Amino acid sequence: MRWAPTSDARFALGIVGGVVLFNVIIFILPLIYAAWISFHDRDVILHTQEFVGFDHYRLILTSAEAIAAILRSIKFTAVVVDLSLVMGLGIALVLNEDFPGRSLLRAAILLPWALSEVVTATAWIFIVNPTFGALTGLLHPLGLVAANHAWINENTALYWVAIAFVWHITPLGTLFFLAALQTIPDTLYQAARIDRAPPLQRFVHVTLPHLRPTVMIVLVVVTVEAFRSFDLLFAMTGGGPGTASQTFPMLIFRYTFEFSRYGLAAAASYILVAIGMIITSIYFLVLMRRRHYVNTGTLPFDADPRSPIAGDRTALPS
Amino acid sequence: MKKNAAERVMLWVSVALIAAWTFVPIAVMLWASLMPLNALIDRGLIQWPSGMGFANYRALLGFASINEVFGGQAMAVARGFFNSIVVAIAVAVIGTAVAVIGGYAFGRFRFPFKNTLLFVLLSVRVLPPIAVLIPYFVILSALHLVGTYAGLIVTYLTTVVPLLTWVLMGYFGSLPLEIERAARIDGCSRLRALWHVTIPMAAPCIAAAFVIAFLTAWNELLFGIVLTGGTAKQTLSPALLAFSPTMPSTGTANLGITLFAAGSVLSAVPPLILALLAQTYITRLNVADPVTSPGD
Repeated sequence: MRWAPTSDARFALGIVGGVVLFNVIIFILPLIYAAWISFHDRDVILHTQEFVGFDHYRLILTSAEAIAAILRSIKFTAVVVDLSLVMGLGIALVLNEDFPGRSLLRAAILLPWALSEVVTATAWIFIVNPTFGALTGLLHPLGLVAANHAWINENTALYWVAIAFVWHITPLGTLFFLAALQTIPDTLYQAARIDRAPPLQRFVHVTLPHLRPTVMIVLVVVTVEAFRSFDLLFAMTGGGPGTASQTFPMLIFRYTFEFSRYGLAAAASYILVAIGMIITSIYFLVLMRRRHYVNTGTLPFDADPRSPIAGDRTALPS
Repeated sequence: MKKNAAERVMLWVSVALIAAWTFVPIAVMLWASLMPLNALIDRGLIQWPSGMGFANYRALLGFASINEVFGGQAMAVARGFFNSIVVAIAVAVIGTAVAVIGGYAFGRFRFPFKNTLLFVLLSVRVLPPIAVLIPYFVILSALHLVGTYAGLIVTYLTTVVPLLTWVLMGYFGSLPLEIERAARIDGCSRLRALWHVTIPMAAPCIAAAFVIAFLTAWNELLFGIVLTGGTAKQTLSPALLAFSPTMPSTGTANLGITLFAAGSVLSAVPPLILALLAQTYITRLNVADPVTSPGD
């Protein structure tokens, strides 16, 4: 690679420099500032600051409340990821079949994804509300539940929020699976049929291997979305009842706005960022590995449409 | 592929289940928004009450009188609708413009530390918004940008630009080089070739990116509450929550629920229209994995 100061190089450098600057401003500076806050104890009434070192971090990692919130976040994420992966794939498989109205349904299943998490919460509140909700309205006349059955209670709150989130996020997975399903060559299925492979075997030996990279992608994307989710929890249960659905982001919100413990909240945010960084690294590795797999595995080398322009920049007038 | 009767039945049952799963929650909300408050509180959702109609929508939009408790909040919803439109359009326009240039650079050039930069871009996207809440709040209040459109727009751009750059990068990378190269040979500058050749080719995906940016800003709650809550620039999501039966602070229990449903339906209209309009493009745009998206 040559780095002559051509107009192309200047153009690229200008943009990349801008990107670096932008990231420093929006990402690095706030994080440095957050680190400073997390090492200080700030009294909002007396307006004093005191350096406390790692005390806040120690406090959080030894607090039963915070550990419970972290575990709740992990549980919420696990439930959401499992359900939305299975449902996303299932829905994509159905929508990949031929039936009248297919393209209409393909468009329509995107709707829950386009709605905000607040509106998702509204819709599900009208289903699970103990007095006027649809579930009580349907099941109470049948004698199955009491007139004001608390669907969202200490034991179930996290699951109901997870189901609402699955409703909101599953279309994203379906989208990726549908795209991947359409790239499976039909000849493979024809060959399988000539071999008289039953549908289940066709699925296991033809469809699934082709979907494996997509499964990884959906897994990581949904993990990220579920892990950082705040709006839905806040709008649907506010973390309650009690602390039954208080995930880690919810707890940080309470540290900040209910208890005004900014130092504690900043330290907790850093722990959240650390967990997020681990997820990002896995995400990145998965994406990069898949690029390698696609470039070398499925395309003839010289037919790769993605070969970057810089590689043959000498062919361009500059 | 020919299907036998059993397969056809299974297919239609699955289609019906998918449609039910997708539409029932929306339908329930829509139904509640058409009900008179007393009927809903007395007998719940599963009924066909008299007096179904658009009274809740008229009350929200200021065409009908409303009880004192919610008068101010109904106005807040109408104002929030306007504020959210302003913020979301600004974010979508600026965010898309910046991301087109950034995505082009990442998609077309190879440069040192490219992977490091890509990792940072991805981190910004993965970072939980609550983690930067305090620094953003402190920095924006120091700049007197709390409670302004500008503060909220800047905040949303920080998540939208990395996301769109990442998405468009894959698409630009997948576009054929030949046409652009021909334009360069004919004497176009890099920027003119980008403007006249590459951007028109990428137009569908840029449109989809615009929609994604709009949705991100329109749908967001957390920064809306923290940066604009209770001010004249309050966005729609926090305004809606004032009616929510689950918000302990309202203290009015279920008295706002029909307005809550109507407001939520209203707030869902722009995203639904945009999602349906851009549906085919969004489907083509591989949001998660632009690095390897086949790009038609």
